[in-house]
Amino acid sequence: MAHFDTEYQRLEASYSDSPPGEENLLMHVSEGAKYAFVIFPNINYVYNMHQKNGFTCMLLGEIFELVMCVFIQLLFVVGFTVFLANCVDYDILFANKFVNHTDSSKVTLPDAFIPVDVCNTRIRDNAFVVFLLIISGVFWLHRLVKFIYNVCCYWEIRSFYINALKMTMSELPYASWQEVQARIVEIQKEHQICIHKKELTELDIYHRILRFKNYMVAMVNKSLLPVRFQLPILGDCVFYTRGLKYNFELIFFWGPGSLFENEWSLKAEYKRGGNRHELADRLASRILWIGIANLLLCPVILVWQILYAFFSYTEVIKREPGSLGARCWSLYGRCYLRHFNELDHELMSRLSKGYKAASKYMNCFLSPLLTVVAKNVAFFAGSLLAVLIALTIYDEDVLTVEHVLTSITLLGVCVTVCRSFIPDKHMVFCPEQLLRVILAHIHYMPDHWQGNAHRYETRDQFSQLFQYKAVFILEELLSPVVTPIILIFCLRRKSLEIIDFFRNFTVEVVGAGDTCSFAQMDIRQHGHPAWMSEGKTEASIYQQAEDGKTELSLMHFAITNPQWQPSQETTHFIIHSSPFPFLCPSTLASVHFGRDISLVNHAAAGLSDGASALRSLSPVSTSLHLKGSLSAAHRAASHTPGMSKAMADSGTDARTVSSGSSAWEGQLTSLVLSEYASTEMSIHAVYIHELHKQQSRGELPRHTWHRQESDESSDSIPDEVRSRNFPRSHTFPTTAPSPSAIPTSASVTSSTIAGQEGASSQGSSQRGYSGPSTVRSAHVPMGGWAEESQPAPQQHGPLPEESSEDEMPPHIHKVNALCA
Amino acid sequence: MNCRSEVLEVTVEARQVEEAMLALLHTILLHRSTGKFHYKKEGTYSIGTVGTLDIDCDFIDFTFVRVSSEELDRVIRKAVSEFKDALSNSGSDGIGQMSLEFYQKKKSRWPFSDECIPWEVWSIKVNVVNLANEQERQICREKVGEKLGEKVINVVEVINRHEYLPKMPTQSEVDNVFDTSLKDVQPYLYKITYQITDSLGTSVSTTMRRLIKDTLAL
Repeated sequence: MAHFDTEYQRLEASYSDSPPGEENLLMHVSEGAKYAFVIFPNINYVYNMHQKNGFTCMLLGEIFELVMCVFIQLLFVVGFTVFLANCVDYDILFANKFVNHTDSSKVTLPDAFIPVDVCNTRIRDNAFVVFLLIISGVFWLHRLVKFIYNVCCYWEIRSFYINALKMTMSELPYASWQEVQARIVEIQKEHQICIHKKELTELDIYHRILRFKNYMVAMVNKSLLPVRFQLPILGDCVFYTRGLKYNFELIFFWGPGSLFENEWSLKAEYKRGGNRHELADRLASRILWIGIANLLLCPVILVWQILYAFFSYTEVIKREPGSLGARCWSLYGRCYLRHFNELDHELMSRLSKGYKAASKYMNCFLSPLLTVVAKNVAFFAGSLLAVLIALTIYDEDVLTVEHVLTSITLLGVCVTVCRSFIPDKHMVFCPEQLLRVILAHIHYMPDHWQGNAHRYETRDQFSQLFQYKAVFILEELLSPVVTPIILIFCLRRKSLEIIDFFRNFTVEVVGAGDTCSFAQMDIRQHGHPAWMSEGKTEASIYQQAEDGKTELSLMHFAITNPQWQPSQETTHFIIHSSPFPFLCPSTLASVHFGRDISLVNHAAAGLSDGASALRSLSPVSTSLHLKGSLSAAHRAASHTPGMSKAMADSGTDARTVSSGSSAWEGQLTSLVLSEYASTEMSIHAVYIHELHKQQSRGELPRHTWHRQESDESSDSIPDEVRSRNFPRSHTFPTTAPSPSAIPTSASVTSSTIAGQEGASSQGSSQRGYSGPSTVRSAHVPMGGWAEESQPAPQQHGPLPEESSEDEMPPHIHKVNALCA
Repeated sequence: MNCRSEVLEVTVEARQVEEAMLALLHTILLHRSTGKFHYKKEGTYSIGTVGTLDIDCDFIDFTFVRVSSEELDRVIRKAVSEFKDALSNSGSDGIGQMSLEFYQKKKSRWPFSDECIPWEVWSIKVNVVNLANEQERQICREKVGEKLGEKVINVVEVINRHEYLPKMPTQSEVDNVFDTSLKDVQPYLYKITYQITDSLGTSVSTTMRRLIKDTLAL
């Protein structure tokens, strides 16, 4: 058949197909000069490179890290330990054994060393030491290979910066990330580096960079990850270390057999609800294996951590003993306080700004008893120290007396420690205000802290976010032992919930791959009615982000990225929740505020409170910024009284007014703008929290994720704790939730999926207390959580399990709830 | 991830596999080929012509159009017959997949080989059925023809969407975008691969490669 040609024939030469003179018509111009094949690089690398100030800085940093960290730390740590353990004759060093010296009675250092060959054989005999050396060797090689690989990768990124973004490496340290981002958006228009869509938005870029971090933030927000524990003696505590985090990421995101197929897409089978039980089993067994591997490697990791901590921190303690008393934001705190779509540097600058206030707040809580003791101990120790020092000054032979030097050292440490317990006389104790200043920076805070700032409970809970560095180090050291236990006994039980989480909260965004749906910051899907999005949100309790995360994240993102064009609905939300209602006259008449003007007044009072608190903290800088920001907003309002109304009506552009302080100061540098933006965000945060406080009196309970643990723990709480007057918030993820958060009607769930396992525990919880008498219905969404809602009517469809709906993309998956 | 992917699915009898695959692959390539470029002076070129050919199928009631280039046809036929053999030898339930991947080449310096960056992948999934008697075969013959017609329209719709295509290159870059090895036609650089159902899951080597890459990544 192939030989059966049609009349179409190939012409011999191409130029002959145009009649003479018309050649130019058929000439094509290649996009020659413009043609530069730009591939979309891994945006994470682009971001890292920016954060590390360009290629040269990074290269140098990496080399120094390799040399310093690996060479000094590793060789020094291991070598020194090996040496100390094997090659030093301690008997000679401690003068228990005498050395025969003819010339002097002094013991010299070389005397204390064992000869090299003896030392060598000793080392060889010691299997443990050989084992250590091998581990460190492997580690070092790994670092080396990683370094070479990274250099190759970053070389590509460097050429991307230079050729595509037209930024030289020398100007990179002085360019803000926003500028880099703007250029990426710009070149997308020309080169279409992301081939799926014509224009790239800021949100797409953020999604790509923060894909996994958003998942982690969402999982912590929904209390899915087992990081809070109810321990017998210690009570409610948080354990989240780098090792644990690494394991979580290994399991979910990139390890062998993880849920993600590659860096940007979830495996197809996890998007379907059909065989969720099977997948959960598989996940559980994987977690078990990884837990066991952790357990087996535990000695290795433990040794490494101890050595590392020993050498890196003794130096620090020696130089400034107070540094251990210093606090730092805990890893859990960083997860809890992080907005969706917040880059590392944004989070860090925010938390650093809050550091001063936070440590001041924690210092308010010095126990009076301890203070009295400390004062006296310090006095005694100090006087003894003074006597010893005076004697030493008089005659330095005192030092050679046995243990005098030791006692001087110990007394010195003792005095220093005691000092830290004695409060500053001139400090004013005003925790409530301090807490508000902290809130202005950290943006998240459980409700029950407000008004209870002076209580120890609040302090303890805050210390989970803002822990002692010493505790941090201790936890890191404990981590290798505790991590496998958590993995095997806590995380494994949650495998079904994890599978459901990833299925229900993954959306495929064109041009960004699979992302966490919370990171879309869609008020309609994930808004919380208690956080200003009442009436706008259609989320079930299961879908709501807790603590106003969606709303605050949206605010934060809109403010840090003024160029971003959100949808109409989102814009409306942003205008409505602006703390500057005078900017948008139309909003006052709107349903939201019109419903309760007094609410606004209350909130405004709270806001000015917060503003004054901010001002009082750092009188010069903050108040200047605040004034600048407010005056900018005023100017915006006074210059364009009619226009702002028009814009508010038109909707899309009005957002620039609400984020006006940044938009209207065009002549200022971007740094000042970002300063304004952060101040503005602070005001928003305080304002939204204030509104929330007014709104939520007798509020929806927090949806607690962990059904079984919470039930057990609720049983274990003694009654007096529960009946105590201390108003527990429903939104702080305590493992001991308020009674109302526990599903009470167990029988209805027993017929549904996962009901069998759930029913027993719920049954027990029901026995625990047959508490609140309000009629509640337990809804079991697809994930099988017993969740509860107000009696308000909801859409209840049959469970979509095994049905054709499973084939729908996950974002269409409404989490159907079964009506009781 | 920076790549479009389209999936086509067909259910055919064993003897129809070859023709069905040829029909689909040729249809896609017809739209992804241009005439040869003749560069005149810096930045300008003219495009040669491309002939087309109607091909009637023996086992399917279907006629498709392909580029009239014997060389291209030979390459495609070779790939398809390999696939057919692999499919019939696999002894499994006869599910397989051919992928036609269009890519751009990125030149690298010496130690590294050139990088291929795909921008569009067509996956054609084939499901082979066994038929009992002649009557069913006759029905199947017509039905597969209809189905293939639908698929062709599908393909044309996708191609008409005016989505991303590599930019027209300069003379020095033309090898990075187009396959210039053929005398009479110049398709975009493409790769044809196939998988038989057993190996549809990720293979060991790719898993290992990813594992190493992941541990090395910063």
